[in-house]
Amino acid sequence: MSLTHTELAAVDLAVLTSYEEAQIEGEPDFVVELIDLYLDEVPRLFDALQTAIQDNDSTSAKRAAHSLRGSSANLGVLQIAAIADELEHLDSPCGTSAVQLLQSLENEFRRVKEILSAERQKRSR
Amino acid sequence: MKILIAEDDPVSCRILTANLKKWGHDVVVTHNGNDAWRALHAQGAPPLAILDRVMPDVDGIEICRQLRREKTDTPVHVILLTSLNRREDLLEGLEAGADDYLTKPLDTHELRARLQSAARILELQESLRQRVRELEAAIAERKLAEEALRNLSLTDQLTGLYNYRGFLNLAEHHAKTSRRTQTRSLLIYADMDGLKEINDTLGHRAGSTAISAVAEILRRTFRDCDIIARLGGDEFAVLVPNVKHAASATLLERLKRNLRSYNEEAGHEFTVALSIGAVEIDHEEAWHIEDQMARADEVMYREKRKKKGK
Repeated sequence: MSLTHTELAAVDLAVLTSYEEAQIEGEPDFVVELIDLYLDEVPRLFDALQTAIQDNDSTSAKRAAHSLRGSSANLGVLQIAAIADELEHLDSPCGTSAVQLLQSLENEFRRVKEILSAERQKRSR
Repeated sequence: MKILIAEDDPVSCRILTANLKKWGHDVVVTHNGNDAWRALHAQGAPPLAILDRVMPDVDGIEICRQLRREKTDTPVHVILLTSLNRREDLLEGLEAGADDYLTKPLDTHELRARLQSAARILELQESLRQRVRELEAAIAERKLAEEALRNLSLTDQLTGLYNYRGFLNLAEHHAKTSRRTQTRSLLIYADMDGLKEINDTLGHRAGSTAISAVAEILRRTFRDCDIIARLGGDEFAVLVPNVKHAASATLLERLKRNLRSYNEEAGHEFTVALSIGAVEIDHEEAWHIEDQMARADEVMYREKRKKKGK
């Protein structure tokens, strides 16, 4: 299903680096802070999704997907945002399609994590 | 400006906070609807709130609705955060009373522009409130001035007689100067009987006519140099300075005669009657009008009791 999103970049670094504007001088790198927040938040949302799907709890599944889409879109993590959006708007967000989408999300996240970690490294130097 | 944020997503929340702080705003951060509601009702609550449309407990739209249900002089300016491409959310939000909206992911330039517009609106509201406060103060001041002016006046508007203040001033002046003369004064305290009944059965206009009639009778009975006053309501007083010996009885007799003849005239829908307390004031000793009025009032009161006992 994630085939429909292949034309999107995993991470649009231009979006991410645009937050340099909000950097306050003398404070820790703001983009690094956002990356850390994101890398911390996503596994939590995956867990929430997983639990919701297993419990057949559509409301919680939709909510977790919604949050995931929001956070990802904010940081220019476009693929994940698109898959999460698809998941959020499934007719049955706890069905087999949901399980497949969650799998795609986890695969995609491995890639995103590498890119973001690299960016983080670059900035922390 | 002090701004409240209610946003459950940590990334969005951090981005929003960082930008607002960068622009010099004072940010109150909450992560759910209940905390946001509490912060908006705390002392020194922010005048502007940026609320996420979707939150786990109470969502932004619900907070909006509840805020708009409150009666307040200082309505919170609410900017709702909604997802792009959710037009129905946006409409629902505006209907719930949001002042403005922003779509996520946040465009910081747009955020900044919206905040400027919000600041303009809040400033206008504040200057409006300031103007209302000024007008209210002006009205209160004016009322005080009118009251003071009324208090300064010496005459009674309805009858043209002296009012309580006028009577006291003139009578007190007389009390101070009369000691040198070897005469005495007559003080009459008169209370209308049955004014309440006239008001109740014939209306207040008839009541006013009755009061004016009594004033006219008093004017006819006494001289220009006598101090005739309506003290208020149905109470009158007359101070006759320098009464010759045995003249008091004659004066009171004349007053009763004039009352009688008024009541005998045709065409009045009511009769007027007075309970009278009269005292003579000796000028040998210093005297104060208030003390003498209390004496006369007591005599009058006894007469009134006697009438009622009949």
